[in-house]
Amino acid sequence: MLYFLCLVLFSIGLYCILVKRNLIKIIIGLVIVEYAVNLMLVLFGYRFGGRAPILAQDQTIENMVDPLPQALVLTSIVIGLATTALIVAIAVRIYDKYRTFDITKIRRLRG
Amino acid sequence: MSKNNNKGMTLIVKTITRLTVGLILLYGIYIVLHGHLTPGGGFAGGVIIALSFIHLMLAFGKDVALKKVSEPIADLFESIGAVLFLSIALIGFVGGYFFLNFIDKGTAFKLFSAGTIPLCNIAISFKVGAGLFAIFVALVLLKTDSKGEE
Repeated sequence: MLYFLCLVLFSIGLYCILVKRNLIKIIIGLVIVEYAVNLMLVLFGYRFGGRAPILAQDQTIENMVDPLPQALVLTSIVIGLATTALIVAIAVRIYDKYRTFDITKIRRLRG
Repeated sequence: MSKNNNKGMTLIVKTITRLTVGLILLYGIYIVLHGHLTPGGGFAGGVIIALSFIHLMLAFGKDVALKKVSEPIADLFESIGAVLFLSIALIGFVGGYFFLNFIDKGTAFKLFSAGTIPLCNIAISFKVGAGLFAIFVALVLLKTDSKGEE
């Protein structure tokens, strides 16, 4: 099944978040998870042999893929851009403070 | 784009950037203006416009790019985009309701058609392009005054 590939991609991202110690690699894992979810949402609206939902001059509306998940995913990509920018800014601040990206060396917040 | 500054990348990258950066900007403007006819529109075109300036900053260093579009100007354009979009929506109250398409719609599949939608696309492109460039500038200009306390 195609959806299984989304699960594989999601698992790769989750592994990256949970196991890696470099902050940059954790951010890359977060982005991979986000894109796996986006891919799954687009695949929900896909139909085999369908064409892109664009109305051109002399074309009839038949056998198009579902455009609604695509609009949802477009919004999701914008929000993902904003959150990724926020996470990167926080990572830069952490690097300023501690001079390292290794999360095991950042132990000021430990209780 | 002075030829003899040592900041930024090598001469090859600078030469290629000097050739391509205008084309990237023009392509972004094309995507924005044809947003109601083809895939793309305000957001995608705005991202491409911002990428042309980010390209300039990556190749020539931050000073050259900030001379073209400084931080207050990016802020100003972002605010102009938001106010323009809101005012286009509010003018619709003249005819009755929010987001009323009050301009003549013209014939379909022509460049000058679809009423207020191209104007909305231009407003969104201002907002997105200036906003994305401002995010990148903010990440570049982050103060590094604290000297690592560990």
